[in-house]
Amino acid sequence: MIPLQVLWAGVGQHNANANSLVAIIPIAIAALPVYYFSHQWPEVDLHFALLLIVGSVVGAYVGARLLGRIPERELTLIVVAVLLVVGVKELVFP
Amino acid sequence: MSWGDALVVVAGFFAGVLSGFIGIGGGTAFVPIMTVGFRFGQTLAQGTSLAAIVPTALVGGLPNIREGNVLLGPGRWMGGGGAVGAILGALLALYVPGPLLARVWGAFLVLFALRMGREAWKKPAAARRSPPI
Repeated sequence: MIPLQVLWAGVGQHNANANSLVAIIPIAIAALPVYYFSHQWPEVDLHFALLLIVGSVVGAYVGARLLGRIPERELTLIVVAVLLVVGVKELVFP
Repeated sequence: MSWGDALVVVAGFFAGVLSGFIGIGGGTAFVPIMTVGFRFGQTLAQGTSLAAIVPTALVGGLPNIREGNVLLGPGRWMGGGGAVGAILGALLALYVPGPLLARVWGAFLVLFALRMGREAWKKPAAARRSPPI
C-alpha cells in the first residue's frame, strides 16, 4: 500500500505510512477469519500471536512517535531499505 | 514464561517499532520472524501475523491520527477496498503453494523499493514533510 500511494497517488511519505497503518486494521480483521476457518485446522497460532502482541504494541507506540520526527527523504530511504531486505529474502529463500 | 517466549516478545517489540515507524502493520516483519526464526510454514505465519497486526496497527495508528498524519478520506477507501481484496487474497493464499506466494510477494517488494528509491534519490535532500493535502 505504501509504494502504491507514493508512486501512483503522489501522497507524501509520512501520510502514506500513517494511512497504510490505519487502513491495515480492517484489512487484517477481514482476512483473519479466512485463515482461521478455511482449513480443517486454524492457520493461526493464537499463543504465538499473543506473545508477539505483548512486544509489538509497545514497539508500535515507540515507532509511531519516531515517525513524526524524521524528514521525508530519510523516511523514504528507510522504507526502501526495509522493502529491499524483505523482498530479496522472500525471493531467494521463499 | 520460557526463554523462547521471551524471545518472541522481544522480536515482537522490534517488529512493532518498524510497524509504527514505517506503517507496515507489522506483517512484513512478523512473517519472516516466524518463517525464518521459528520454522513456521508460510500460511500459518501469515495467519498468525494477521492476528498480531490488529492491535499493533491500532496502537501505532492512533498517535498518527492524533498528529494529523492520516488522510482519513483516502484511508477509508483503502481500508474498505482492502478489506474486500483481503478476503479474496486470503482465499487465494490458502490454495497457492507457499514458496510461490513468497516469491511473488518478494518480487513486488523489490520492484517497488527500486522505484521508490530512485524517486527519493532524485529529490533534493532538503525536502521536508509533505504539506497536508
